[in-house]
Amino acid sequence: MVKHEDVRAEAKKLLESGKVKYIIAYELGADGWKANPVFIKKPEDVDKIIWGPTCFHNLVRFVVDEKRRKVQQKNPDTRPVGVMVKGCDSRAIVILLQEKFIERKDVHIIGVSCEKTGVIDERKLANKLKGRKAKNVEFGPDENFVVTTEEGTVDLPASEIMADRCLECIAHVPVITDVLFGEKTKRTVPHPFGSVEKIETLSSEDRWKFWSEQLEKCVRCYACRSVCPMCYCDECVADTITFAVSPDTTAEEKAQKIKWLDKSPVISENIFYHMVRAIHLAGRCIDCGECERACPVNIPLRMLNKKLEKEAKLLFGYDVGFDPEKPALISCFRDEDPEDFIR
Amino acid sequence: MKKRTGIFICHCGINIAGTVDVKSVAAEMAKEPGVAHSVDYVYMCSDPGQNMIEQAIKDKKLDSVVVACCSPNLHETTFRNAAKRAGINSFKCEIANIREQCSWVHKDKGKATHKAAHLTKSAVKKVQKNESLEPISVPVTRKALVIGGGISGIQSALDLAGAGYKVILVERSPSIGGHMSQLSETFPTLDCSQCILTPKMVEVSRHPNIKLMTYSEVQEVTGYVGNFKVKILKKPTYVDPAKCNLCDECTKVCPIVVPNEFDVGLTGRRAIYIPFPQAIPASYTLDDKNCPDPFTTIACGKCADVCKVKAINYDMKPEIIEEEVGAIIVATGFDLYDKENMAEYGYGKYADVLDGLQFERLCSASGPTQGKILRPSDHKEPKEVVFIQCSGSRDPELHCAYCSKICCMYTAKHAMLYKHHVHDGQAYIFYIDVRSGGKGYEEFVQRAVEEDGVIYLRGKVSKIFEENGKIKVWGVDTLSGKPIEIDADMVVLAQAMRPSNGAQELAKKLKLGTDKDGFLAEAHPKLRPVESVTSGMFLAGAAQAPKDIPEAVAQASGAASKAIGILSQERLYHSPTVAKVLKNLCTGCGMCVAVCPYDAIAFKDGKVEVNEVLCEGCGTCSATCLRAAIQVKNLTQNQVQEMILACLGG
Amino acid sequence: MTEEFEPKIVAFLCKWCSSAGSDLAGVSRMEYPANVIPIQVMCSGSVSPLYIFEAFNRGADGVLVSGCHPGDCHYIKGNMYARRKLLLVKKLLEHVGLEPQRFRMSWVSAAEGQKYTQVIKELVKELKPLGPQTKLRRERNG
Repeated sequence: MVKHEDVRAEAKKLLESGKVKYIIAYELGADGWKANPVFIKKPEDVDKIIWGPTCFHNLVRFVVDEKRRKVQQKNPDTRPVGVMVKGCDSRAIVILLQEKFIERKDVHIIGVSCEKTGVIDERKLANKLKGRKAKNVEFGPDENFVVTTEEGTVDLPASEIMADRCLECIAHVPVITDVLFGEKTKRTVPHPFGSVEKIETLSSEDRWKFWSEQLEKCVRCYACRSVCPMCYCDECVADTITFAVSPDTTAEEKAQKIKWLDKSPVISENIFYHMVRAIHLAGRCIDCGECERACPVNIPLRMLNKKLEKEAKLLFGYDVGFDPEKPALISCFRDEDPEDFIR
Repeated sequence: MKKRTGIFICHCGINIAGTVDVKSVAAEMAKEPGVAHSVDYVYMCSDPGQNMIEQAIKDKKLDSVVVACCSPNLHETTFRNAAKRAGINSFKCEIANIREQCSWVHKDKGKATHKAAHLTKSAVKKVQKNESLEPISVPVTRKALVIGGGISGIQSALDLAGAGYKVILVERSPSIGGHMSQLSETFPTLDCSQCILTPKMVEVSRHPNIKLMTYSEVQEVTGYVGNFKVKILKKPTYVDPAKCNLCDECTKVCPIVVPNEFDVGLTGRRAIYIPFPQAIPASYTLDDKNCPDPFTTIACGKCADVCKVKAINYDMKPEIIEEEVGAIIVATGFDLYDKENMAEYGYGKYADVLDGLQFERLCSASGPTQGKILRPSDHKEPKEVVFIQCSGSRDPELHCAYCSKICCMYTAKHAMLYKHHVHDGQAYIFYIDVRSGGKGYEEFVQRAVEEDGVIYLRGKVSKIFEENGKIKVWGVDTLSGKPIEIDADMVVLAQAMRPSNGAQELAKKLKLGTDKDGFLAEAHPKLRPVESVTSGMFLAGAAQAPKDIPEAVAQASGAASKAIGILSQERLYHSPTVAKVLKNLCTGCGMCVAVCPYDAIAFKDGKVEVNEVLCEGCGTCSATCLRAAIQVKNLTQNQVQEMILACLGG
Repeated sequence: MTEEFEPKIVAFLCKWCSSAGSDLAGVSRMEYPANVIPIQVMCSGSVSPLYIFEAFNRGADGVLVSGCHPGDCHYIKGNMYARRKLLLVKKLLEHVGLEPQRFRMSWVSAAEGQKYTQVIKELVKELKPLGPQTKLRRERNG
């Protein structure tokens, strides 16, 4: 079991010694039962830190923001930031290290093991509670969660309310840390790509029906992009006016801006945007699920990115987000890469 | 500023006009945005055709030109030169291939015309976004570096020096000469190896254009073709070559004995030594790896005491010499596959089981036995000698998959030399094939059989082991189908040729590719056998693949001529359609650096930059970059998008 | 009488192998349908996934990418990266429900004029029964 006191003590030590600038952690939100991200700057605030099954957020996104801030500053504070990471989140840090977006010394990684379970899916929980309101969610002793409502406490098995990605999780213990809380449990996942396989069994036409219905809903709010730690590009290829033209933008650069697709939220443009995002995340998406969680219209975005994670593994033997020295998926090849699709 | 593109549609007689309605294409193109002139003509590549283009450029003040005609492979240069003569940049001229890829392959005139219009529009969109470019030129340092002082390195150095260029020849051992200096006689002439080699070695030492650096190793190479910067480590020999007079008194008093590399371990040498009498430079060397011995910390001083000319100086230090060169030839040669790897042949433990180079030393008149063939174990003359070909070669499961090319010839030679020395001896050769393809080679092998009575047995040897002072050889003769057992006095293994020790590390330093067997990779196996993928670096000799002396010499001269091709120019010119980084978009992730086949992209200040001289403009970097932050000039992603639209539109 | 559907195909041909192979088909006067409009790129490795998506978005019924055989790439290994990237693109397009025949990759060397002709004929034949590509195509107003 991960004890809050242990995490808080570590945080306090880090802040008192001045080793880190601040710590990105989880606190209990205003609604009283779901976690929120929080930036702890003072040692006296460490008691806000919690860890529980509602800590869905991938806090590595804020590490990206911190790097962006540093780039703007004249004399930046070069101390690392502390960040709490789950297994999936830690793989995001590995990708940022692979791509040299941050250096190892820029982060102090406070790893938390998901042990036997993971985080819950709010919608699944709401379905299960059928109108009752949750007041607290804790990790149970086994593969279960203990949920408290106004009517009392109920034990719910993980298989029923755990987030889909946790059911397919291949890294429930952080893969890179400066300090680790919780046990390094062993878990096997029989179907690491189960959610993708469901779509693969459909015919071409049924697949198209599924995706066109889903992606028609997209309002191009770009929440998926905003919340993804890998979408750190200053200018998004799919949306080439995201960054303002500055005094030193050359005429050439202006002329080179390509408008691949329209901003209008029609099906053809929505699909184009999501396909570009998926292909750019091939070998980089570590399935933190944030894009899907953040989507205001409930598009199952995980199932686009996960497909390419599966192909990377099955076709190219490529594991995403474990080795900071590994070259990017599309920057390497093996002699034995499949080519039977080339006729 | 508004674009003014000129369009010229060629009829090519009836080659194009017979299928494509050239007039309608010209008329359609005239309506395109930015087109100021659009005509058709019967033969654009002719003088009147070219004049027409030049005149139109001048009269209509055209800023770019599209010629819709045959494949660009034929006349792109012709029309670009015409554009240049008329005063616009040659890169402002593009070709639309409406012949090989249109009129010649389609029968339907309507469809062919429609396609020709799309192809021309596509070229217009591209040319309208082309930059004006000039070929990139860099100065050339007119000096060469040859790494490796064996026969190949020596030949390259002599060819370069003879052509008037300064050459630095770097060799890591105390003398040049390589493995050829260890040989007794060479096939197919059986002339004395040292006799033909030493004149070349002396020429190297005397040539005013050659700076010979022995006992030296290349540490670092930076830069690019025409402009390499090299750091060479000159190891201290502790003997001044200007003073040393080869009197040999020092070896008589040196207390340290170590295996003699030149005799492949058959004899010992002192810590102060000369590798062989004809060594170049003609000077002794004190080997500081073995002197002082492990138990004392300072040299005993005996050799310095006895040296009458005071040539020995214990205070010599290693030096790093920095040189600038324009071209590099890598001729690092080969080493034999270790006998220790041959489990079936005794792991190299048996004293009387030798490899080919050791046998050469026995045959050599200046060798450990003064040319007498004697068993290393008891110095008796062997009466039955078994030679095993393909030892370690042609064995993909256990050892090297490839054929080492020279073993059939030198084994025949060894058997003949043995018989010349031991008239009543019997030589057996176990072979799979006999490969004797060079000039005079087949006749040479026949001599071994017909004149010297060498017995050839077709089969492999499964095992050899020592028993009662003899080497038992268990083999098979597949032609008769019988197993063969020979109680041999000596066995000679034709060990596989491997790239020389340390070649892999050097290749990494030079960023030269190696093939799956560790040999240096040539740019094209058929058509570019002496060039490496790295511009300005060339390959010679056994470092690139197993080969015999005539081939090594030929390749060395070939590499020298390629190097001269670079050094003879004042400046080197390179196509300017290279990659360019849009720094505002680059995040320094390095994916482009990893994919560049020419290592032309490097990290700089948190982003990347392109070395325009190394870049070949393939565009792989551009397709890899997630942010389109690196683009190829005149084929940017923006231009390709326009071309896609032109292909599909209307 | 309704006209037979003629698929519009964009082909990205590498300059050194596939475009040369296409030229050879021309020199040899081989015959193939006019549905394919080639765009010459330097190397199959320089074909960005966005080109494929853009082509479909702009109404291409089929897209072909053709490069040098493994080991023969003029730029040594660009085609190896293309092999990996474009397989990922193919898998993604199929996952979304695009008919797999619409995106094709081939190896055509400078000596394979016949093969190039074959590839084009096959591709056109496979695309005709599928009809126009409407799934990814942008709707234009007016």
